[in-house]
Amino acid sequence: MAVDEKDFQMFREGTQQLASMAPPSTMPDERRVEVAKTTMLAKLTADMAFELESCVHCGQCAEACHFYQATHDAKYTPIRKLDLLKRVYRREQAPLRWLHRLYTPDVTIDDLHEWQELVYDSCTECGRCFMVCPMGINIAAMVNVNRQAFANAELMPAELRALEMEQGSGYSLFGMGPEQVEGFLTHLRDSGVNVRMNESGVDYLLLTSVVEIMIFRDALLATIRVLEHLGLSWTIHCEGYEAANFGMLSGVEAVQKVAGDRVVRAVKASGAKTVLVPECGHAYPSLRWDQANLDARGQDFEVLTVSEFLGREVEAGRLKLRPIGKGKKVTFHDPCKLGRHSGVFHEPRVVLEALGVDFREVESSQELNWCCGGGAGVFLLNRASGLRQGAWTIKQQQLDATGADSVVLSCASCRLNFMNGARAAHWDKGIESLVELAAAQLAD
Amino acid sequence: MTLLEFARGPALQWSTIILVLGLILRIAGAWLLAHDKDYSRPRVDAAWRGGLRAVFSRFWPHQPFVRQTWFHILAGYVLHVGLFVVVFLYAPHIAFIRDLTGLNWPGLPANLVLFVGALTAASLVAFFVRRLVHPVMRTISTLDDYLSNLITLAPLVTGILAYAHFGGRYETLLAIHLLSVSLLFVWIPLSKLAHVITFIPSRFQLGAWLGRRGVKA
Ligand code: SF4
Ligand code: SF4
Repeated sequence: MAVDEKDFQMFREGTQQLASMAPPSTMPDERRVEVAKTTMLAKLTADMAFELESCVHCGQCAEACHFYQATHDAKYTPIRKLDLLKRVYRREQAPLRWLHRLYTPDVTIDDLHEWQELVYDSCTECGRCFMVCPMGINIAAMVNVNRQAFANAELMPAELRALEMEQGSGYSLFGMGPEQVEGFLTHLRDSGVNVRMNESGVDYLLLTSVVEIMIFRDALLATIRVLEHLGLSWTIHCEGYEAANFGMLSGVEAVQKVAGDRVVRAVKASGAKTVLVPECGHAYPSLRWDQANLDARGQDFEVLTVSEFLGREVEAGRLKLRPIGKGKKVTFHDPCKLGRHSGVFHEPRVVLEALGVDFREVESSQELNWCCGGGAGVFLLNRASGLRQGAWTIKQQQLDATGADSVVLSCASCRLNFMNGARAAHWDKGIESLVELAAAQLAD
Repeated sequence: MTLLEFARGPALQWSTIILVLGLILRIAGAWLLAHDKDYSRPRVDAAWRGGLRAVFSRFWPHQPFVRQTWFHILAGYVLHVGLFVVVFLYAPHIAFIRDLTGLNWPGLPANLVLFVGALTAASLVAFFVRRLVHPVMRTISTLDDYLSNLITLAPLVTGILAYAHFGGRYETLLAIHLLSVSLLFVWIPLSKLAHVITFIPSRFQLGAWLGRRGVKA
């Protein structure tokens, strides 16, 4: 179940080349400012207005943010990341705009350049800051509005630009498109794995991701093993197999929708009632919460992430696992997008309980869990490596305090970031996948 | 018209009108922006329960944040509870409100209110100093923050001076106290002090947003 070091190394090298693959943007500066402001205004809702009206500038949000805590640099104070949005709101939409305009400076191109680091490199949209804010200000959601504004102004980091353009144009990622994925799955099937491809009339549509195929193949195989063990009808559909959504991560809503629509088409083609999202954090909220709104109509299918699915099957008594025993001391990392953003807390713990391990909860867990520092695409940004490692150190301390020998994860992005962080810090604890652990313990 | 008559009469009346209309404008102006319908399937129905819960639960931070935010908890509670006590439990204030509205309730001994008033003023000074010296607060502070602090402090200081008959004729001190209250009333809807009311929808929306996803705010 170990990850192949060579694959991981190749992937890391590949991500370092991403920036050079993005075409340079030629948008004139005045246009960028105009587009960024127009996007912000179009995306501001009444809820956000109440939030922006309520900030008392207490600064408590900084206490919750791993990037501030890792650097103690006040520029990373969460609410400061919304400064441009706040200024645009105050000047153009706030009830007292006639007054605010007198002393609130307009947004300039220099501001946009300065804030790029704040809304991309130093924010994983993890939401920990909204858990401490006495006014309940959802900074994460508004950072995403900023990202949309920056993306429309073609000011997102080159790594994300390269990936969202690739996914938006041909549905491939990291150079791997539908043909290669189909080839890989066929190869798997030929080697004896019961891969069900492009079937219809099934109950479950299983998504995967290029990252899973490139590095975490064992997680995909483990998921297939569980589905087969349970005797469920399922398929992977080449029409829409990719869970990752770089439209969402970069802030390009059109690409987010294109990628989401492919999955919806695969749901229709397969007749599935449930979409199973692999171990991938952002893919779940993108499909579970955002896609229905991008479609502007309800979804007639259910979306489950694999840890949620496993927990439900265990609770229903359909999935029986052989206990590993208390000799194995583990802790669990709640991925921000699955936990704090989506409420998947109970199910992975049900699985760990069924595995009979010595489970140790971190201090400040579940809704209050520390982000690992790599979410929302930050893992891919070369220039953010220092910030990321600083944030990961907090995570490492939190994990070490439990005394566990390994940390169990249910998100591939977190897993990549943990592997990277652990390598740099010479951290020797185990980093394991929940579905892989469960699939290794299937009981008859 | 004497200064006191002006302060008691038109100044207070007009500032109260500005306070009420201004706050309505602040709320209505935000409310009129888009209300996006959420088409996703909620994990938990009746998200409003989460919203309501957050309005109250955010009066106290989650346990892991308590140690880190102790200053805000302590100074914040002294400030807000102190203001409540001074405004609503001081006998002359109660009498003033009774004359206007007919409502009446018992007050606290004057000496106790004076002590609470001094503590409240001290909390504002502490916030002011922290704003100047703490890197995070200094970075995110605006003129609004400093002025809001001073304008809230003014009625407390003038009130204490008037009570102590210190610094001038009692009538003049009282008039200045009332004028500082008027200034505060006008300032509230123009500034961040509007959080006296906007904290409700702000907390509510987060609680409801998280609530429908099955997360406790
Ligand atoms: S904690 Fe909330 S109210 Fe305080 S500065 Fe941050 S966003 Fe504003
Ligand atoms: S969402 Fe997370 S990373 Fe972003 S400002 Fe808040 S705590 Fe920091």
